Amino acid sequence: MQYKQKTSRRGFLDWLIGLCSAISGAAMTIPSLMYLWPAAQGGESSNVEVPGAENLSVGTSTKVQVGPRAVIVVRGRDGYVAFSAVCTHLGCLVRWDPGKKQFLCPCHAAAFDDKGQVVSGPPPGPLEPYKVKEVSGKVFVSSI
Amino acid sequence: MGWQRSFLGFFDARFDTDTGRKLVEKQVFKRLPPHTGWLHVFASLSLFLFISQTVTGILLLMYYRPTPEAAHKSIQYLTGEVQFGWLYRQVHAWGATLMIMALLLHMCRTYFMGAYKKPRELTWVTGVLLFIVTITFGFTGYLLPWNQIAFWATTVGTESAAKVPFIGHWLQYFLRGGDVVAGETLSRFFVVHVIILPWVLTGLVGLHLFLMRLNNLSSSKRVDESEEFPPETGIPFFPVHAAKEVSVLILLVAVLVTLSVLLPWEIGEPADPLSTPSHIKPEWYFLPSYQLLKYFEGPYGAFIGIIACTVPFVLLIVWPFVDRGKERHPRKRPLAVSIGLVGLVGALFLGWLGHVSETDINVFGQRYHIDLLGWPHKLADGEEGGGHDGAGGESAPGEH
Repeated sequence: MQYKQKTSRRGFLDWLIGLCSAISGAAMTIPSLMYLWPAAQGGESSNVEVPGAENLSVGTSTKVQVGPRAVIVVRGRDGYVAFSAVCTHLGCLVRWDPGKKQFLCPCHAAAFDDKGQVVSGPPPGPLEPYKVKEVSGKVFVSSI
Repeated sequence: MGWQRSFLGFFDARFDTDTGRKLVEKQVFKRLPPHTGWLHVFASLSLFLFISQTVTGILLLMYYRPTPEAAHKSIQYLTGEVQFGWLYRQVHAWGATLMIMALLLHMCRTYFMGAYKKPRELTWVTGVLLFIVTITFGFTGYLLPWNQIAFWATTVGTESAAKVPFIGHWLQYFLRGGDVVAGETLSRFFVVHVIILPWVLTGLVGLHLFLMRLNNLSSSKRVDESEEFPPETGIPFFPVHAAKEVSVLILLVAVLVTLSVLLPWEIGEPADPLSTPSHIKPEWYFLPSYQLLKYFEGPYGAFIGIIACTVPFVLLIVWPFVDRGKERHPRKRPLAVSIGLVGLVGALFLGWLGHVSETDINVFGQRYHIDLLGWPHKLADGEEGGGHDGAGGESAPGEH
């Protein structure tokens, strides 16, 4: 009958030192990785006032920062509409072309209609819509 | 000289300087293989440019301030007010371009002469890693002036990271330090550019040089033949090869300063997170990847595109382990040489397409608009090319 070899005191200490080193390493690594993970960027993301929106004439547009994102607000005949200005292709900002009634991306020639749907170009999806609210003549946008 | 003797004597009395001296002399007077010539100087040029980038980078750091509010102004101040600030900025910017060119030429020489083969596989691998680190230097440094082109090129570049499946959005969020390119991104890129990458590059350069000196330069003999050569036929590193390197270095300095003076890099408009300028394009060394990405559309298109852009780098790293042929001479390696040439010409062609895409060009008096994918479209007289001009076509008075 064979007996299991007993762990020597030296072997046990080697094992213990290895374990403590691993725990210490993890204890130092985990907080530093968490430290590197970005904290949320600031900025209001609901009921953000659109400066000067009340002075926009019909068919024109302006941009405003909502949270970290740029939002484009267009004044139409029936009121205001707002979409994320970030092209869903590679993140460039679209501009509103009142003649074509389209949002155009300057980077890769993409076009979106006035409802934010892709008309042409490489974007994989539509522009993200934003809520618009008019209070006492002032215009506010919020993410949906 | 008495003072020299006493100065050296101080060290001789305390350290085993003889061993150190012999080691240095062995390296300095080492005999290089007989075919070593002018094509072998690109590595030293790359090393010199790395040193130049480090020195000019430290000088620029004396005035540069890495915040969105101050970065662009500090570059303007450095260029306009500080004595010779314009020169160091230009030498740094042109140095980056020339360093990548020198590295590419060095890699081409190594590839076509079969110098990556046994026993130098790891030297090649560290060389490819050096190239990857160098273009990462270019990517991170590009944002630092915080101008419009830099800001939006970085936005597009980091947006591509989001297309990696499963982890894409986390990766993008981590790279940017948040949802969008902002001050957090500038801080991250700054730290990576001036602290992390220089140390990584220094370590890799040290390892690369160590491996190169350990195995000496490659001969043109077969892998299974001895690379030994009679010492009298070898080229002494000093003074023969070193003289060649110094001559080319002097020429390089002349080119670097001439480019800096005659073709200065613009500072550009400060970054505006609410307005994208038209036709953002990356630096020339990213143009092949930039153009390649355009051909992949659809739900998985971007992912496949990213794989297509990554494959050439992975292939370069594993190439010495794939090409196990014994021959080194290019004439005896038709397949490897053909693959190399196709890759090189393909990259140059894609880069050129990326450069001319979304522009109008003139060919023998006929104007063509080159579209996004590189296809030419004939233009009638006076007709403007397609695409949307982000700034020029602005018609909304309320638009910021």
